[in-house]
Amino acid sequence: MFGWWGKGLEVDLGSGEIVVKRLPREIYEMYLGGRGLGVKLLWDHLQAGIDPLSPQNVMIFAAGPLTGTRAPAAGRHAVVTKSPLTGTIFDGNAGGYWGTALKKAGYDYILFKGRAPSPVFLLIRGDRVSLESAAFLWGKNTDQTIRLLKDKFPAEGKRRYGIACIGRAGENGVAFACIMNDRGNTCGRGGLGAVMGSKNLKAVVVGGEETVPLADDEAFEEYRRDILRLLVASPVSSKGLSSFGTSVLVNLINYMKLLPTDNFRRVYFEEAYEVSGEKIRDNYERKKRACFGCPIACKSRAGEMEIPEYETLALLGPACNNSSLESIMEMNHLCNDYGLDTITTGATLSCYAEILGRDLLQEEMLELIREVGEHEGAGAQLSRGSALLAAKMGQPGAAMQVKKLELPGYDPRGALGMALGYATSNRGGCHLRAYMIGPEIFGKPKLLNRLTFVGKSGLLPVFQNFFTTMDSLVVCKFVSFSAGEEELAAILSSVTGVHFSAQDLLRIGERIWNLERLFNLREGFSVSDDTLPERFFHNSDDGYAKGLNRDEFMRALREYYFYRGWTEEGVPTGEKLTQLGIN
Amino acid sequence: MWREINRFGRKLVEYGLAHSHFGNISVRTGDGLLITRSGSMLDEIDENMVVHCRLYQEDCFDTIASSETIVHRRIYQQTSALAIIHVHSPYAVALSLLSEEEYLVPRDTESKYFLHRIPLVTGGVGSAELAANLAGALSQHKAAIVRGHGTFAAGKILEEAYVNTCSVEHACKVHYLCTNKTTGDGTL
Ligand code: SF4
Repeated sequence: MFGWWGKGLEVDLGSGEIVVKRLPREIYEMYLGGRGLGVKLLWDHLQAGIDPLSPQNVMIFAAGPLTGTRAPAAGRHAVVTKSPLTGTIFDGNAGGYWGTALKKAGYDYILFKGRAPSPVFLLIRGDRVSLESAAFLWGKNTDQTIRLLKDKFPAEGKRRYGIACIGRAGENGVAFACIMNDRGNTCGRGGLGAVMGSKNLKAVVVGGEETVPLADDEAFEEYRRDILRLLVASPVSSKGLSSFGTSVLVNLINYMKLLPTDNFRRVYFEEAYEVSGEKIRDNYERKKRACFGCPIACKSRAGEMEIPEYETLALLGPACNNSSLESIMEMNHLCNDYGLDTITTGATLSCYAEILGRDLLQEEMLELIREVGEHEGAGAQLSRGSALLAAKMGQPGAAMQVKKLELPGYDPRGALGMALGYATSNRGGCHLRAYMIGPEIFGKPKLLNRLTFVGKSGLLPVFQNFFTTMDSLVVCKFVSFSAGEEELAAILSSVTGVHFSAQDLLRIGERIWNLERLFNLREGFSVSDDTLPERFFHNSDDGYAKGLNRDEFMRALREYYFYRGWTEEGVPTGEKLTQLGIN
Repeated sequence: MWREINRFGRKLVEYGLAHSHFGNISVRTGDGLLITRSGSMLDEIDENMVVHCRLYQEDCFDTIASSETIVHRRIYQQTSALAIIHVHSPYAVALSLLSEEEYLVPRDTESKYFLHRIPLVTGGVGSAELAANLAGALSQHKAAIVRGHGTFAAGKILEEAYVNTCSVEHACKVHYLCTNKTTGDGTL
């Protein structure tokens, strides 16, 4: 095979047994890799009703067919498991170097099951694979863990190690603990780090020096250059993201009256500039950095501090009525060190502030984050996310979440495709499933009227399918501002030697999406979970955003099911599953 | 101001000078420019389809502005233009591909008088090179053609930029029709 190695590792942490598994070629062609492969393996290995933090849960780390090649922005990997935060199927996606390292080691995926009797880390050195004691790492946060492992495993010639690990939050079972890799790259959402912690798995260290073989080097180069050209031509990738990173969105989203302010009670933040990309540019000496093989390079650091992403700025800033950029940078650093998802952290803090009836002070926020990570004091209450916190404190309406996943930095009242996308997302309140920010905010590929549901029900499944495919290749979503399914199909075909058309890619995304839906239905989710918090059906307190019309929303949802080929109860029909080759 | 942009956007599409979501329009606003958004259609411009960018510094709004904003900005910085129209008008594009000269000299009297000659410039879409070439050309001419791409026309008001756009296309059409008649094979 080209592009894929055709093999992965299955690691039983309970018994310590490690087996090399080979998968049939058709599984790769049907699910590609990354998210798709992880979803398929999880579906096959996990029974319904398993506690996500029990040894029975299964967790898959997977690279895609483009990972490890020189395809732009494709040095990524996915992690798939059942989420302790949402109870749904859940995939996280991260950049950095780890995914590339896995491919260079000669594997497409690693599947973990069971629970190690004591803390361990998995070490892959080319074809030597072992479970090692993590006693010297347990109890440490991510910065220190990565530093210690980097010192222990320096680059050896062409072999460079990728390190994915958890911090104290993951060890302590915080429901929104993340996985950090190579400092500053996170598999952020849904508590994937807590699943690692529940398995006593502190880190996965991987290094190899294989070259991923390409079916057609010449065609690959040509398609690679095409995508690079498109990246340069698009102002979103070549200007906005490249110059500012995602922080470019703060002023823009505020201007459009979409910025979650005061726990989504308002949509416009007077002091937005104070936490914006422009403020960062004007006040910080930044050093740009990129995930492996990415020409966009949307990330940057100021000294030792990571410049926060837009979502972090929005949720730890305006959502908490906080206009101190310095404090957000400090909180971001603390979250990363403990291994906490910054979106859920910010949203849970803003929910808590609403329940308390007052703003939280910056020092208080910092202390609460530390307590969440340590699972102690008031932080222990917050460590299961906003939905359970608000329910416990008798104000369930204060939690801005869908399927218990907290909403990111776009108020759904100002982008109705995004609203429908949040409601129908298979992992809960997430902007990345359909990424409607493309057409509704950036005008990519075509500018849509963001204030209507008209036409969105038909378009949304296409976008969801497309981004599911991107997560399975695995290519960064930011490439979608420039290149579409045609370019990706062409480069994938040149890598694998298998002909994929643009339509094939969308069909693969649809297959994965439907399998995720089946997983959630099997776990007891239903049409009643495809909704939004009550707050969004009312005008914002500042009067800038009009409440969603419930009838229009329900109509759009029904239409969405129709376009998906599902029943009115949101269940994929037998005909649809047969068409997709799902048994 | 978006209404004016809307008015000329509709005229451009109506007369076949622009199509689909290609082309962009801007006006200078002191130290800023109001420009059509990336992905917008020129015959459907409303207040949400235009965006205000700064003239001397990029900011977040560049991200949603036309991908040619860099070109408009440079033209405003280097010339006295207050309005710019860019379209992919067909005869101008066709002639720019057929000619290897640096200028196109109109054949009809009126265009000769009005435009003298039209520079043919090169550069990738939205590139710094194109911005520099066009700013240079438009500091001495009313309009220019980007080879294989389309026209950029400047004016003190949108109407003037519109007239210049139409004039270039008219000159190119006449030129093409005459050429086809004389050589029969489309070469110039
Ligand atoms: S665009 Fe940013 S997040 Fe995406 S791969 Fe590149 S550096 Fe990483």
